[in-house]
Parts: sequence; C-alpha cells; structure tokens
Amino acid sequence: MVLTLVLAPLLLVALAGALQLGALRVAAARVRAAADLATLVAVNDQDDAELARSGALRLSADAADVAREYFARELELSSSLLDGAVDEIAAAADVAAYPSAPAYDVRTGTRYDHPVVRIAADVPVRTPVFGALVLRPVTTIHVLAVSSPR
Amino acid sequence: MKRPATAVVLAVLVLSASPALAWDPFREERHPEPAPPAPERGPDPAPFIAPPPDIYYVTDTYVADVVTSSGPLTTYSTSTVHESTGSYARVLDSVGTGVASAFDGSAFNGRRALADGRSVAGTYYENYVLTAGGFVPVSVVFFQDDAELARLLAATRAPVVTTSTPTISSTPSATARPLAPACCATSVTSVVTIASPTLLPSKPIRPGISLSPISAPLAVIEVLRGREVTLYPRAFVDDREVAVQSWRVVAGDGGDALATAGSGAAPFRTSWRRLAPAGAAYEITLRIEVDGPETGHRTVDATIAVVVRSPALER
Repeated sequence: MVLTLVLAPLLLVALAGALQLGALRVAAARVRAAADLATLVAVNDQDDAELARSGALRLSADAADVAREYFARELELSSSLLDGAVDEIAAAADVAAYPSAPAYDVRTGTRYDHPVVRIAADVPVRTPVFGALVLRPVTTIHVLAVSSPR
Repeated sequence: MKRPATAVVLAVLVLSASPALAWDPFREERHPEPAPPAPERGPDPAPFIAPPPDIYYVTDTYVADVVTSSGPLTTYSTSTVHESTGSYARVLDSVGTGVASAFDGSAFNGRRALADGRSVAGTYYENYVLTAGGFVPVSVVFFQDDAELARLLAATRAPVVTTSTPTISSTPSATARPLAPACCATSVTSVVTIASPTLLPSKPIRPGISLSPISAPLAVIEVLRGREVTLYPRAFVDDREVAVQSWRVVAGDGGDALATAGSGAAPFRTSWRRLAPAGAAYEITLRIEVDGPETGHRTVDATIAVVVRSPALER
C-alpha cells in the first residue's frame, strides 16, 4: 500500500513526460516537414524569362515570398500545437533566396552550387505537461530547410 | 517484517541502479548550422588579417556563359545578375584570344574555345567569402568576352557578288564547318569560283533550338523534372531567320513528347520525368527541313543538351 502510494506519482510523472516527449517529437516532425515543403515549392517557382534567355534555371524574383507564404500555409495544419499565430511565426522566419549560383549563405556560410531557397525558423510549440512539471511550458523548435534544383 | 523487507528491496534497487541511455527528442532538430567560431585566445585577441589586394564586394553575380550568334558573328559573353551573394572577388588575370593563362583549368565554368581551337578572351576572377579567419578563397570563375566571324562568310558571299551566272544549289552538309581561316577567305572564294563557276554552294544554314520563338538559340538548357518545355526549331541564313517547314526528332531521348514530328508552326513540346545520370544530359537532335528561295529544299540537324533537374532538399 505504501509502496503503491510512493511509486504511483512517480510513474504518472514519468508517463506524462513520455507522452509529452512523443507529442513534441510529432510536432517537430510536422514543423520540419512544413519548412521542407515550403522551400521545395519555392524552388519550383522558376524565372521563365531567364530560362528562355540563357537556358539556365534561376529562381523567380518572389521565391522568398512564396517560401514564406507556403511555410505559413503548412504550419496552419499544425496550429493547435503552436504557441503563436502561424503568420507571425512565418513572418519572423529567416527566409533567403539565392537565385543564381554559386552563392554563399550569409547565415551559415554554406556554399551553394545551385539556386537555393533557405528557411531558418524558430517555432514555439506548446508543452503543457513540461510546464506542469516545472519545466518550460513552451519549447522552441529550430528548423532549417534548404532546397535547390539538382 | 514488511518494513525490513521493503527497506532491503529499496536498498537493492538503489544499489543496482545504473545510468540508462535516454531518448533525446531534440537530436534530429539539431540542424547542421555551425556554431559561431569561438575567438582564439592568444596574445592578440583580434589580429589584423590583411585582405587580398584589390578585393571588392561583389554586386554583380555570375549566372552563365552565353554564346549567341547573329549571322556570321558569334559572340561569347557572360550573363550576370545585379545582386550580392555576400562574397568578395578580385581580378586574377585578363587574357586575350588564344593566350594561355596560369589559371586555365581552375575556373569552375571552364574556358571555351573558338572554332579554330583558340581559347576565348576574358577575365579570371577569384571569389572569396569572409569568415572569422579572414577572406577565404572559394572558387575561380572565368568571364568570357570575345567574338568571332564565321569564316564561310566571304566564301559564300563572294561568288554571289562576282558571278552573274545562275546558281544551282548543291546540298552540302549544313553542319560542316568551314576550315579556312578568315584571312584566307578570298583564296577559298577564288578556288570555288574557278573549280565550279556554275555550281555554287548554297548559303549555309545555321540551325538552332530556342525556348521561345524570338529568343536566341541555345546549346544547353536546364529544365525541371516533369515541367513541360516548348522547344522551337529555328534556322538562319546569314543574319536572317528562314521559315522551318517541318521538323522531327532523329536522335536522343525526347522525353514524354506530345509529338516527335511537326510542322514549322508547331513547336516541340515535351517533358522529362527521369533525371539523366549524374553529370550527364539528354542530347536531342531535331532534323529541320527548310524550303525557301534562298535555301532550296534542305534538311539540317540541330542538337540541344537538356539537363533535367529536380527540386531537392539540401542537407
């Protein structure tokens, strides 16, 4: 009886923590997928006039805007997990388009040999169980997605 | 009895406890973004690193080598775009036509050659990226800037000017290139006139394939996988475009084409669902048929290399 009373709270806390970790993992996967899809969509947006002129693939001028827009659209599907408005999260994301190559990412220093769209974002995710356990009630997920036509 | 037993069990559990590997939920979220380099601790915390001489911030970025032909004139140029990639550059060497450079072979885009084998003129630039350790050279690029005249120009125009006899079109291979250099065009002309004064070679037809009805023909194009592209078979005589009567695919992988032959008014529409092997491209040859007063009924082959790319994630 005493043993049950002692161990039951510990087991419940462990169970709740495990469930929260699982939920956090799912949220992280969805956020990463949102960023990946947004960059892929943006890379698919090519400058047709430049292609006809030079034969080379080059990102359209609004590739960064397209990436940000689709990042918000994809995050909208996971809005219940997020601690903030998706538009604000997408607006705060660092979206960069390098229309021609070679180029160097001013954020990471990476050299790109193809036209690239890159999203770097901090996405806050609700973790209420962690908050109840005197941890952070909001966990920020750092996501970096880079896409190019290869 | 229960208390000592419970105490013993707890003691055994505590003593036998060992660290366990825990699942890290953030393991995959740790992206490869490098941490900012820690400042080196030395006698001089901020040593001055002299930049390479004559380095400047890049505001016009290399896009592609461009080879355009307008009549007999072939121009080798470099297309750029006015934007900054955050890199720096400096001039390494400016070379003239046919002049060798110590940097030949070091540029990632190579250095083209004229039809006679001489290297084109241009300028070598070295690109730098600024890191915490100073300017780090990352690549060399060659900006070509040259032009050449087709050497058959004199050989084809002179007989028309100097001969008033009616011409009979022969059918030489349209893709055959003249071998005589421009300086010797006059002698070639005289040889042709003397050898066959009444059987003059037809004007050479320069075939080409472009991505729009009015843009310059291209030798290489990049397309996205599955994206439909429209290729326009074109033909030129001197500096004038002549009408294409028909075309058909005679070699190469034409992709998922709607039709592999058509009239001059119908372009070649196709798409590729598969990527070519790494480093390779699909080469397609179209046989273009022309039938005009200045060309006669002839066929010429135009080839274009298609590099199929697909949006993909970088890691």
